[in-house]
Amino acid sequence: MREAVAWREGSGATARARQGYTLRGNGVTSEAPPAAGLALQVDDLRVSYGPKRAVDGVSLDINEGEIFGLLGPNGAGKTSTLSAIEGLLKPTSGSILIRNVDARAHPGLAKALIGVQLQSTSFQSELKISEIVKLYAGLYGVPLTKPAIFDRLTELHLGDEASRRFSQLSGGQQKRLSLLIATVHDPPLVLLDEPTSGLDPQARRQLWDRIEGIRKSGRSILLTTHSMEEAQSVCDRVAIMDSGKIITVDAPAGLIEKHKNDRNVLAVARGQVTLEDVFIGLTGRELRE
Amino acid sequence: MSEPSAVRTPLSPPALTETFRALLEADFTVLLRNNRALLLSFALPLVVLFALFASKFYIALGDPQFRVASVLTLGMASIAILGYSMTVARDREKGVFQRLRVTPAPTWTIMTSRLLVQVAAMLAMALVVLVAARLFKGVSLTAEGYLLTFICVILSSALFLGVGQALAGLIKSADTLNAVGRIAYLPLFALGLFGQSTIFGTTFELISRWSPGGTVETLLSGAMNPSSWSSDTWLALAVSAAYSVVFAGIGIRWFQWGAR
Repeated sequence: MREAVAWREGSGATARARQGYTLRGNGVTSEAPPAAGLALQVDDLRVSYGPKRAVDGVSLDINEGEIFGLLGPNGAGKTSTLSAIEGLLKPTSGSILIRNVDARAHPGLAKALIGVQLQSTSFQSELKISEIVKLYAGLYGVPLTKPAIFDRLTELHLGDEASRRFSQLSGGQQKRLSLLIATVHDPPLVLLDEPTSGLDPQARRQLWDRIEGIRKSGRSILLTTHSMEEAQSVCDRVAIMDSGKIITVDAPAGLIEKHKNDRNVLAVARGQVTLEDVFIGLTGRELRE
Repeated sequence: MSEPSAVRTPLSPPALTETFRALLEADFTVLLRNNRALLLSFALPLVVLFALFASKFYIALGDPQFRVASVLTLGMASIAILGYSMTVARDREKGVFQRLRVTPAPTWTIMTSRLLVQVAAMLAMALVVLVAARLFKGVSLTAEGYLLTFICVILSSALFLGVGQALAGLIKSADTLNAVGRIAYLPLFALGLFGQSTIFGTTFELISRWSPGGTVETLLSGAMNPSSWSSDTWLALAVSAAYSVVFAGIGIRWFQWGAR
């Protein structure tokens, strides 16, 4: 808990430039959004599966208009943290505030404030793409006409696929549709669980642009990823998790700067220290299941 | 570039009517596009209806109303056990439910919508079977009889959907559920066929009469002929209600939304 407070206080201090994307280091630059508030506040979150504690005292804040990445080896507790925020898992303790709405006390309203892309998702196989969009818009109370649905699909280059089924789409198209559905109600906070896993470089870059577009519209994003490249290219801040705890958090460049002289990091580095070296140095070389 | 303050912040979750309407519309679409469901709902009961009236051998099973009631029971069992529970297990494996659960729709609406669609399918099946029985087999009921039959179809649907829910609750794997469902389906329906016949002895007749399928067949055949509604019919109604509570209780208690 003390560690979480410490990085919260220090998190706004590091600004860094990223090639190709506008700099927004926690609201410290002139182009950053005004510090209107926090999109998400998680405090001392704990999630257990029977005797096994998957999330062990995670605390994090996400500013409005910020992209925050959760990195960690398999089983570190990333997806469990997201699932608790999404309302899929009941935390054993801790608090989750989404735009100051207590997600545990008001799950319906909290869910209306977030858009979710699950790690692996599927939709009813009998429904056409346009019908899936209509269903999810309806579930968020957003009435969409057929032309409006088609327009949204066309924006994501899915207009020609409107009459096809989800299983007939390519992996990249499925991810784009999932992202569209996650944002169909213009939520202030979007949660993306490994949004680009399994995609080719072109599709991945396209999706990064989409994610950047979501942020540019003023929304905040919390994403999990195994890709260091993605974390560096997309995220304003990154937290590294292991064994259910957040080990460290900062801007990607800040993390490298902070840990470049750690003994464990230097032991795995091959030349100049990278974010991956920091990641492996902090979480260990052992294979995770 | 819009500023964060432009981001829409809802003050309340979407209205229940909106979410429920969206779910119902999608679930009806899924049902109508599901060839397996349509086959089980309509074709199978009609085939069995014509078979049960095709041979004098089947007269021993009971009067025409009872045989039509058996067909309705078969249709409901097929829809609930082979259709509904399989769809639930398959969607659970694919993560469809988890995707729905992260929306503001209350979880009970997700399942209630699916159940209502199944009840509607059962009513449609009953209508088709009763029309076919009247047109082709001369089994006609009074207006009161038709009304009571449809009411009893709705009541009986709770029993079979409860069984389907219990199966989906107890068995996670769609493949396993498919196999178990087929095995459970036979005793649930076929056992009830002998609820009015002593051809296998009185003990078997007693077991058959008070099996889940048997109670529904007794209830429906009583509903088709309201003048013969007896204490046995009331008892069948009570027993099927008890079965519904037990099976639905098991289904709710052990149901899991995710496959993991």
